[in-house]
Amino acid sequence: MSGRRLWAFVDAVAAGRRPRRVRADPEDAALLRTAIDLRAARPGAGRPGERFVDDLHRRLADRLAEPAAQGPPPRSHRARTALAAVAAGAALVAGTVAVTEATDPAAPAASRPPRADMLRTGTFVGADHRVLGQIVAYHGHPGWVFMKVAVPHYDGSLTCELQSADGSVVAFGTFRVHHGIGQFSTTIRVRVGTLRGARLVTSSGSPVASATFA
Amino acid sequence: MFSRPRPAVGGITPPAVAPGGETPRLRIVDAEVYTDWESVYRDNVARLYRLLYARVGNRADAEDLTSEVFSTALPPLRLGASKGEVRSYLLVTAKTVLASHWRRRLGLPVTSIDPDSDIGYLDDRPTAGASDAPERADRILSALPDRYRRILELRFLEACTVKEAALAMGVSLANAKVLQHRALRMAAQVAVEMGL
Repeated sequence: MSGRRLWAFVDAVAAGRRPRRVRADPEDAALLRTAIDLRAARPGAGRPGERFVDDLHRRLADRLAEPAAQGPPPRSHRARTALAAVAAGAALVAGTVAVTEATDPAAPAASRPPRADMLRTGTFVGADHRVLGQIVAYHGHPGWVFMKVAVPHYDGSLTCELQSADGSVVAFGTFRVHHGIGQFSTTIRVRVGTLRGARLVTSSGSPVASATFA
Repeated sequence: MFSRPRPAVGGITPPAVAPGGETPRLRIVDAEVYTDWESVYRDNVARLYRLLYARVGNRADAEDLTSEVFSTALPPLRLGASKGEVRSYLLVTAKTVLASHWRRRLGLPVTSIDPDSDIGYLDDRPTAGASDAPERADRILSALPDRYRRILELRFLEACTVKEAALAMGVSLANAKVLQHRALRMAAQVAVEMGL
């Protein structure tokens, strides 16, 4: 970014204006980030206006009330929304998606937003009611499951069992936990819509946590 | 890799079960759930806006991005999910939306959202929802020489124009601009060294 454009961007940030679209250089990033940090620290900043909150509420209400027969929104907006929705849904355990995509050529392309019955999420809770992680199952061809756990003071392997509505185990897999942190993602070949929950057990079979899919 | 469970025959054992052979009942993970989209919206709009404002630094963009997050996240949202699950979902949606914003605006990710460390913006703890921007700014400014700190305080925290800042500091307009440039470059270097 040229010096003039860089400082025009900074001046816009300082004044709280929307900066213009420019092409920035990587070496400018720290300076721009610092300007944003300083501006965002202004006393009273960061509170949304009541009018904005009410307007957005009304727009969302209109949109959510639209029957499907009225047709989809314009294509460009729909495509952007779809990509964001899939990325967001799949990335509930951030950082795992990229690893899996890199190692699994069968990874599904992010092309459509997930329907409610396609994305299942759950929170792993231990016996002491502490939240120990999250799990996301995505119905596709193939389906995917992602999980991330934080089990304090634990090192070793954990087995995750996926349970169907009748309580039977329909799939299971093992992954490693290092210094209490573990992530696991893989494809699955079970019907995600029939899953009831998941549970984590140690290699000796001791239960660690369980989750119920929403 | 996930496998289908197999019967305990031929030396192959089924997946581990709890000692005693009893499969523990799955607990209901979180009694607090959102029952309608309006609850999701009302409970999270200000928190999400605050986070996005801290990442873009201006009201217009923060409003646009907040709108985009809810427009993206609400239609496919499955109601009945726990608060924590919905907020995680909103957060990763916001992460994607913000990344897309910076790609369009500058072509590089100036700021980002980390769903792990930024969850505090959305949760219900007493300290939750507070922006981390004042603390970050304070750490940066306190590491600067007095004149550098002052010019940045005047410009960014006290809403002064360059002209007003120059007057307040008793320097010329040109000097105030140079001072601001040098101060911001040093502040950026300090922020990088602090890992902010």
